Amino acid sequence: MAGFLLRRLAAYLLLLYLILTVTFFLIHLAPGDPVRMAEDQRMTREQRDQLHRIYHLDRPLPEQYLAWLSAVALHGDWGISFSHQRPVTTVIADFLPRTLLLAGASLVVEYAAALLFGIAAARRSGGAADHAIRVLSVLLSAQPVFWLGLMAILLFSYVWPVFPASGHLALPALVLGLFSAGSTLRFVRGSLLEVMSRDFIRAARAKGLSEARVVWVHGLRNALTPLIQLFGMAIPARLNGALIVEVVFSWPGIGWLIFTSVATRDYPLLLGTTALSAFLVIMGNLVADLMHAAADPRVRHA
Amino acid sequence: MIGPATGRPAKLILLTLLAASLLAGCGRREDERQGAHPTPAGAETPRRGGSVTVAVIAEPGGINEYTTPSSLASDEVLFTVFRHLVQEQPDFSEHPPTFAPELAESYEWSADHKTLTFHLRENAVWSDGVPVTAEDVRWTWQAQTNPDVAWDNAFMKRNIRDVEAVDPHTVRFHFTRAYAKQMGDANEGTILPKHAWETLPFAQWRQSADWFKQHAVYSGPFVIASWKTQQELELRRNERFYEKDRPYLDQVVLRVTLDPGSALIQLLNGEVDFFAQIQPNDAPRIKADPRLDVVSYWSNLYVFVAWNNDDPLFADRDVRRALTLGIDRQAIVDTILGSYGRVGVSPILFSIWAHDRTLQPLPYDPAEARRLLESKGWKDSDGDGVLDRGGKPFAFELSSNAGNQQRADAAVMIQQQLSKVGVRATPRTMEFNTLVDQANKGRIAAMVLGLSIDTSLDLTGNFHSSQIPSPTNEGSNFERYRNPEVDRLLDEIAATPDLQSARPRLDQVQRILHRDQPVTFLWESQRLSPVNKRIHDAKPNALRSFFNLKDWWVEPQG
Repeated sequence: MAGFLLRRLAAYLLLLYLILTVTFFLIHLAPGDPVRMAEDQRMTREQRDQLHRIYHLDRPLPEQYLAWLSAVALHGDWGISFSHQRPVTTVIADFLPRTLLLAGASLVVEYAAALLFGIAAARRSGGAADHAIRVLSVLLSAQPVFWLGLMAILLFSYVWPVFPASGHLALPALVLGLFSAGSTLRFVRGSLLEVMSRDFIRAARAKGLSEARVVWVHGLRNALTPLIQLFGMAIPARLNGALIVEVVFSWPGIGWLIFTSVATRDYPLLLGTTALSAFLVIMGNLVADLMHAAADPRVRHA
Repeated sequence: MIGPATGRPAKLILLTLLAASLLAGCGRREDERQGAHPTPAGAETPRRGGSVTVAVIAEPGGINEYTTPSSLASDEVLFTVFRHLVQEQPDFSEHPPTFAPELAESYEWSADHKTLTFHLRENAVWSDGVPVTAEDVRWTWQAQTNPDVAWDNAFMKRNIRDVEAVDPHTVRFHFTRAYAKQMGDANEGTILPKHAWETLPFAQWRQSADWFKQHAVYSGPFVIASWKTQQELELRRNERFYEKDRPYLDQVVLRVTLDPGSALIQLLNGEVDFFAQIQPNDAPRIKADPRLDVVSYWSNLYVFVAWNNDDPLFADRDVRRALTLGIDRQAIVDTILGSYGRVGVSPILFSIWAHDRTLQPLPYDPAEARRLLESKGWKDSDGDGVLDRGGKPFAFELSSNAGNQQRADAAVMIQQQLSKVGVRATPRTMEFNTLVDQANKGRIAAMVLGLSIDTSLDLTGNFHSSQIPSPTNEGSNFERYRNPEVDRLLDEIAATPDLQSARPRLDQVQRILHRDQPVTFLWESQRLSPVNKRIHDAKPNALRSFFNLKDWWVEPQG
């Protein structure tokens, strides 16, 4: 198991390095001058040259790359954000809590909705409610999340103003949660239906237990096991999926930070946030790998 | 973005989605309240205490003005917690603006107008009790001009040879020459606390936003008491402010509200008392609420179509004149701004003392436009409805910056209006930086653009041939207009210390621009600031919406 872990870690480290290197060159080669975009206005040539010198943007690109790489790899120094003029790590530390909060709240929404509707659909399998719920789930997960966001703003901030359009947790959490609930719901339904046809359920019924107890205690407990694995992978996915939602709802978390750092060509900040994002996805995969390996010994030697 | 009004060069205005309401800088004074005044006469006794909540569209980039990317969001806060030497007044409708005391209680010029002496208030202290002295002013100038600080307005100090601390309360600015913008240049930038900040070497300033926050002391009516990133700033009364009876308010909470639509909702449900700017089409909703009021005032922004004078299509003055005649500017104003705008005629706006009142906008006259174009050889020879000459149709792209709906709408109306005189304009929006980049290369035929005029009336950036942009020259003369006479007049105006005496030249420039029509002026507009009626004496103006924040007061709650 240790060997497996080491091999995977090495592969992931290489992957992380490649992602950041590609990002580094992509953003540096994109049109737009960071010092001009941050200042958001026209400036004298003299000042632009000064800023280039201060941020080392006057050096050849390979030299900038090596300087950045050695600072990150040897000293864990992600540099200074151009637009915030503070270390990248402290900027991220300031914005991360809001993303975690949104991720947590949307997970609650997602699983509450998925369990509620998934179970309801499974219990009335084939009936009208089941069909309605299944159509709804496809609708929810088939819409682009930004569109869902805009519709939610239209509905809950203008037509029926219960939540502010930005800066409030409720709408982004709802949209992100419901968007993901679509597929989770179908998973709950499928899993529960499968479990409910097993012998032990028949046995439970035969014992004369109430139907609610059969479903909620015996059925659900068994149906939930795969769901827990899904949950483990949902956390990193959620942190990244929040990018668009954070921008649409002006929720200043990591996604919003990535968006603005691209817009202002804040290279160090973009690389730092990209690294965090990539790291989370990789960790999610690693966890999934480990679970898989634990369950299936053949994988460990692959 | 438009920075503080004091003497910056004309800058492009970009209304991006995020920044839509920050912009549209300065304007005018006519502080006409729309609607009923909040309180009956006689109830106007200012009272100390209370708190107001203001929605702001962005938080300041930092608290050190010289390393913070300039934006209205930063300026509003920094100019409240720090002070300038003097404060430019919004009284420029009758004469060049005057300057009221801030840290300096008085100033005087030498006979040759090359030396400016400020006398600082004896009672001005930093929020830690240390006096504000001439050394602070001198050290601030050193920071402003230091290459490692790389302040974006450092060029405004290039005609200042030295700043001399004569004694603790006397500071003298030595200029290399006398010219129009001297006071604006000397006064540009807030005074920094030398004793608190001089321990950090200039070379580290651009990476020390946190350090400045931690070591902040203030000189303005309010201090920053707490700051929750991207959420809320709390300003609290500075008990050591030099005006002992100001400010009236104990607290001003700035709530960061990235989305203007959200700010509107918070105003309507009473969570927020003030917001710097709303769009004209939102005004009726605010006015319909009996608790809210809208303060309107003329901005210093003028929006126009820049015809690329280098483009053979627009090289002829009569053709440009015909295009102006063919655009129904009044209809555009009525549609886009309603009663909050008017048709423009000069870059020196109606609201400014030097506006040439003899100028009238050219009428909307499509028949005359067509006649003029035909006299220049433009005829619809193939009957397709578009004029042509030498086999080429009169067709071009009309660009505007993405995210600015007003300008995109204007471009569409222009397209439709010009089609009636046989000219095909195709609207196109482009990301702001791409647009500027293309314009610098001379590749934009025509664009709808907004520029602001500063109160020193320097039109050099917009109309001087030295300011025609190129990849190596960042001017704002996007219409690529070249007129030696205008160049000469602008140079002479800029070199005149007393602007009043430059009036004949200012008039002459306006008339030449009217004759040449290098651009077609579309509109001037008002800014609309919604305010809850529980706030009294809020006088946002074209210079800043927090212009007189220290004088705002509220009635007791309940």
